[in-house]
Amino acid sequence: MMADTAASTGSSNPATAKIDVRGVSKRYATDDANTPPVLDDIDLTIGDNEFVTLVGRSGCGKTTLLNIIGGLVEPSHGDISVNGRLVTGPGEGKGMVFQQHALFPWLTALHNVGFGCRNNGVSAAESDRISRQLIELVGLQGFEDKYPTELSGGMQQRVAIARALATDPEILLMDEPFGALDELTRLEMQDELLRVWSAHKKTVVFVTHSISEALVLSDRIILLAARPGRIRREFIVPFPRPRQRTDPQMIALYDEIWRNLA
Amino acid sequence: MRNSRIIGGLTLIFLLVLWQLAVTWGFLKPFQFPPPSRIGGAVVELATKGFPNNQHIWTHVGVTLWRIIQGYVLAITVAIPIGLLIGTVAVLDKLTLPIITFGRSVATLSLLPLVIIWFGTGELTKVLLIAYGCFWAMLSNVIAGVKYVDPVMIRAARTLDTGRLRMFVKVVVPATLPRMFVGARMALGVGFMVIVGAEMIGTIQGLGALIMEARTFYRSDITIVGMLFIGILGFSISTGLSWLETVLLPWNKGLEEVRR
Repeated sequence: MMADTAASTGSSNPATAKIDVRGVSKRYATDDANTPPVLDDIDLTIGDNEFVTLVGRSGCGKTTLLNIIGGLVEPSHGDISVNGRLVTGPGEGKGMVFQQHALFPWLTALHNVGFGCRNNGVSAAESDRISRQLIELVGLQGFEDKYPTELSGGMQQRVAIARALATDPEILLMDEPFGALDELTRLEMQDELLRVWSAHKKTVVFVTHSISEALVLSDRIILLAARPGRIRREFIVPFPRPRQRTDPQMIALYDEIWRNLA
Repeated sequence: MRNSRIIGGLTLIFLLVLWQLAVTWGFLKPFQFPPPSRIGGAVVELATKGFPNNQHIWTHVGVTLWRIIQGYVLAITVAIPIGLLIGTVAVLDKLTLPIITFGRSVATLSLLPLVIIWFGTGELTKVLLIAYGCFWAMLSNVIAGVKYVDPVMIRAARTLDTGRLRMFVKVVVPATLPRMFVGARMALGVGFMVIVGAEMIGTIQGLGALIMEARTFYRSDITIVGMLFIGILGFSISTGLSWLETVLLPWNKGLEEVRR
């Protein structure tokens, strides 16, 4: 099941590479010289509209890698390019969803979703129109004027997804977005995300430590090893969506990934 | 909730009765511990005849309130922009930290002699003293509010192409508002602490002056009335501020409940 990137999905051959991670290493300033780096010489190519998950144990650097791709953290070595252009900072077509919803508590759901549009000079009326559509897409119609504290954890994360989608970014980066939710809500949100993703095709990089979540969602699973943070293996998930969590083939792949993690 | 209020009220009445009886039976001297009946009498005296020199209680309350409002508003309008600036610019924060720590530590009333030399014994001196006390309480809260804006908010805003100006106006300032209200409440407390001292000099109007004059005439009952009115005034304004906060920051209500 060892895959090379080119063959991972039909849409992700290097010619249409969306995200290109080249020789990225990261060492934090607070680490002493003997500590292995958080990320060590990572090479990764992600295709257009590909859904990739980064999976690994806590501390394997998956969130750091996501933040580097997102332009929030600078790599110690190496670089990232999107559409062949070097990433120098956050935003610019890279939407992000965090583990904590990170919504602005002083804005209503509607205005949280429209925040990026307003930054880009979209008129208030147009921003509201886009936001209403997205709120409907994530199934929250009727909650437009609620403040984040008035929403449940799952609803907050739906707003956060809508907010990240509002500026229509080409790339969606998601850092354990469902990690803080209860199991039922989590399963619901996975289906929801796939539905949203099929309506708005994007390149998605999704960090999780749940193998089953990665299996349900992604085209390709990147397994990271910790300290030094390296890509241990890649797995293609070839099954058509929607996927049955109890499908024997899914379970077989789950076992294989699990063996590689241990 | 209702029960506890009733019990609280009954306890208060019980203590007042006990106090009255303790004076009647001679355990407490009325000169040192004027009984509730005397204090009630003093209230009536202040409301009808007035003290000292026929100054009615409402004059005292009004004058004190006006001084506090002037000093308080002055302090807050100066502290907010300065605090936002210091909190935003890390170098300024480092540079001003010793000054602020020093300024806060100087007990406001110890400045009284100096301020009198500078500005005389008129209204300005009183207002400035109140402003001085309120200023530091407000300033340090505004600075802390800016410095401790949840970094997750900043990150999220950065991923949404937020420019520098909008980051400040649309993220940092609103995120700082709850802390500003904390500062405003603390500053108000300081204002009421300073007022009694500030009114010791050059006036017979105001609750502070009332308390001082009462001391000269050994009227401990009037002193207690002055204390009572300061307490009522402080409580009312503080309640007003809380109400203002729920109106202006409706989104903050849930957050505070979570923090508790």
